[in-house]
Amino acid sequence: MAPKYKLTYFDVRSRGEPTRLIFAAAGVEYEDVRLSFEQWPPIKPTTPMGGLPMLEVDGKTLSQSMSIARFVAKETGLDGKNNLERALADAFVDEIHEPLAAKIPTLLAFTTDEKAKEDLAKEVDQLIAEKLGKCERNSGSVGHLVGNSLLWCDLVFYNIASYIEAYKPGTLQNYPKLAKVYATVKANPRIAKWLERPAGQYGV
Amino acid sequence: MAPKYKFTYFKASVGRGELVRLIFAAAGVEFEDVRLEREEWRLLKETSPMGQLPMLEVGGQVICQSGAIFRYAAKETGLSGAAGWEEAQVDMFVSGMEDLTMKMYGVYFERDEAKKEEKKTALATFVPNFLRNYEKLCGSDGHLVGTSLTYADLAFFNGMDDILKKQPDALEKYPRLAKVVESVKANKGVATYIAERPETLL
Repeated sequence: MAPKYKLTYFDVRSRGEPTRLIFAAAGVEYEDVRLSFEQWPPIKPTTPMGGLPMLEVDGKTLSQSMSIARFVAKETGLDGKNNLERALADAFVDEIHEPLAAKIPTLLAFTTDEKAKEDLAKEVDQLIAEKLGKCERNSGSVGHLVGNSLLWCDLVFYNIASYIEAYKPGTLQNYPKLAKVYATVKANPRIAKWLERPAGQYGV
Repeated sequence: MAPKYKFTYFKASVGRGELVRLIFAAAGVEFEDVRLEREEWRLLKETSPMGQLPMLEVGGQVICQSGAIFRYAAKETGLSGAAGWEEAQVDMFVSGMEDLTMKMYGVYFERDEAKKEEKKTALATFVPNFLRNYEKLCGSDGHLVGTSLTYADLAFFNGMDDILKKQPDALEKYPRLAKVVESVKANKGVATYIAERPETLL
């Protein structure tokens, strides 16, 4: 019988969405548990490292968003063809995922103080320019960051890119190779289906 | 014959480069260990793939991002844990160490005195919780995961290095973790490497 996966995260995209995208792309079923922020305090001490997301598999629990995503990518064959390809995919993930995965939704939905918002926006703008620049320089040109088929790094990138496009629409036009990756992911039939879901309760 | 791997980083001993060097040392795998002064890097930076260090060159390809590099190096040298769940757990422990190291750097590099004090206080609360979690999850025979050395053990050792220098009894309440540090120190490759590595400021 196939392993049963249970992913627990907040009802936002941020650090949990890459794993959800990987499951979706691979067509693998899992339990997608979404917590409101109010539900979190009593659950916190029961988690391995006091944070989310966490993944439960056959009674064992894994923490750390990218360790989880990487594990699921490996389980579903979306991590890369060989060690070198896997490393190149890892490099893109490390470059693009943190800290934007949390900073952009914080900016879009969870910062109310005007000055804080201004400061955060400046920081986010600088990070976006820096990171998209590096990724564009190193990206493949056939609609995939690495190699010639969908890998988890494309999905991790898509998660950030969709936040960037929500924040400043049209940004990707300045990064043609990355724009192609974004479009390729969006056009993937399983991802397209996943993207039809309504947004979570916080809208990010 | 030239070593298969060429690793380039700053001269600094701790930080993101050191774990890669420890992995190759522990596995007894030769590598070209290029250590640059800041000035030398300034000249190379523009033509490098991601404009940052560390980087690992192998078979004409370049890998950047310390995480990608040490994961790759660990896989190539058999120190990444058994494929599947064990490998994921190793990954998890190493990622968690990043949280600790980032907070430590945060204190070290903070110029503003008031902010530095704040960060120091935050770190002082963070560390015992962090160690408590790790002790709970740690294996009991001198390895965080499984029954032989993985790079999770090396990452923990590397991350704790600074803390232990200032507070040799920092792991007193955490016997499993203390055992991990001992296991790493007992590894021949690591012991030799540490004895011979240059002392630096950082």
